[in-house]
Amino acid sequence: MSEEFEPKIVAFCCNWCSYAGADGAGVARLQMPTNFRIIRTMCSARVDPEFVLRALSKGADGVIVLGCHPADCHYIGGNYRARRRIALLRLVLEQYGFDPKRLKLEWVSASEGEKFQTTLTGFVDTIKKLGPTPLVQEEK
Amino acid sequence: MSFLDRFRSKKAKPKEEKKAAPAPKAEAPKSHKAEAASCAGKTAASVEASQLAFSDLVESGQPLVSYKFGLGAPPGGKINLAIYWAAACGGCDVSILDINNGVLTVGDMANIVMWPVAADGKEKDIAAMEDGSITVSIISGAVRNSENEHMVKLLRKKSAIVVSYGTCACFGGSPALANLVKGGKDEILDYVYTKVPSTANFQADYHKGSPVVPQSHVKAPEGDLELPVLYDTVKTLDQVIDVDYYVPGCPPLQESISHLLKAVADLLYNGVALPPKGTTVGVVTKTLCDQCHRRKEFRRVSKIVEPHEIDVDPELCLMDQGILCLGPATVGGCNARCTSAGQPCRGCYGPTVAVQEHGASALTAIASLFPVLDEDPTCGEDQIIDVMSTIRDPLGYFYAYTMGKSLIKRSVTEKGGN
Repeated sequence: MSEEFEPKIVAFCCNWCSYAGADGAGVARLQMPTNFRIIRTMCSARVDPEFVLRALSKGADGVIVLGCHPADCHYIGGNYRARRRIALLRLVLEQYGFDPKRLKLEWVSASEGEKFQTTLTGFVDTIKKLGPTPLVQEEK
Repeated sequence: MSFLDRFRSKKAKPKEEKKAAPAPKAEAPKSHKAEAASCAGKTAASVEASQLAFSDLVESGQPLVSYKFGLGAPPGGKINLAIYWAAACGGCDVSILDINNGVLTVGDMANIVMWPVAADGKEKDIAAMEDGSITVSIISGAVRNSENEHMVKLLRKKSAIVVSYGTCACFGGSPALANLVKGGKDEILDYVYTKVPSTANFQADYHKGSPVVPQSHVKAPEGDLELPVLYDTVKTLDQVIDVDYYVPGCPPLQESISHLLKAVADLLYNGVALPPKGTTVGVVTKTLCDQCHRRKEFRRVSKIVEPHEIDVDPELCLMDQGILCLGPATVGGCNARCTSAGQPCRGCYGPTVAVQEHGASALTAIASLFPVLDEDPTCGEDQIIDVMSTIRDPLGYFYAYTMGKSLIKRSVTEKGGN
């Protein structure tokens, strides 16, 4: 392949912190790669592991879940739930043979536009190094 | 009358029972012969043989299904019934006999044209039948090799209704766990035939040089020999053919097959319409926890244990005791047989109707049971991974029965990168 690999990344952002953080990054006109698509959820705990698996099964090269900082959740404990599920899901993905780095959980608050930028840039770099998703759709 | 009562009464007066029994027996062969004449050519003899074998099972007593023995053939004549196993253990075939006397209703209303585990009926006989001439085909097992695929496609072509029977057919079951072997069929064949220390291939010197591994095509002096080709990916039945009804369970309960039988009998004798296509027979809408008798205290769990490691409280929820139970994510319908016996649910009935991904659903529910730690606000993700590692083999446990239906169906191999 002569062209550089441009990964497709799905980013789940919680409504109260990370989505506002992404908004802040945009308002501040921070430079960011264009490889990610944001899906807004009400809480990081709304991100069912099924969403992540579905994203990967449809060809996403990486999935990042962003939520409020620990002890800062709008719903008190949603992000604690989320981090346990994501931790377990990373173990599952590792068993499938995926590099667990393809799934990342990070905390970004509403005021952290800059952290949103660095997190996403770093994640895109990680995925670029890992290469395209190992999942092949053909059967048999 | 319970089974035990009937058993006792039979013991008490065996002579009467024996006298009562021959009456239907004597009648049976007549109707069978008449039916055999009308049923499609080649299978007639073998069908009749299997029917007689059924009537040998006759004992008196109350039938377990609502249809009594001795209904005779349905008004439209007997239907053709095929029961087939693909990649299955045979437990589903045995479970069909769990309906006890109900099996006689089957004998009344159907010619069994194929049932490899119990009756005769060959592939060529089925191939010679007209399309759609089998009314019901009950197929258990996942599709794992070319023979499975050929047979289920053939049965689909010849059948009006196909029932996906048992967990392997519905969700892939245990056979589908083979999808997690990275090397696919080659690795499996290599391991099973050359690496297992107890095999003759491994032990005997005379096989050392060229181990005996089954080939799909062999040239022998007598001619070319063909064996089915094993597939890398095990599929569920509905990924290969169109399926009309699903009966999950490993194996399905007696009540499920009785429901199915009643639906078919209702159609044949009373003209009652069948349930809509795609119906899952024998499940409820809520999860297993709703049927489980155990007391739920909604305790937090921080360590997962096996049932043999602790004294299991017979009244308390297994998940409360730290035993990994898939009840919160598995659809009810089995009347919580396993949890009543002190064993955790392993999820053989599959997910509820609202969920596709059974394993992810179980993972979500069980991860939420872990308590919030004091150091949670300050610790990193690695520490949480350590906490969650108390669940060993999460993929194998959560997807034990539903790998074939999962969103990511095979193990993958990262190619480059670091």
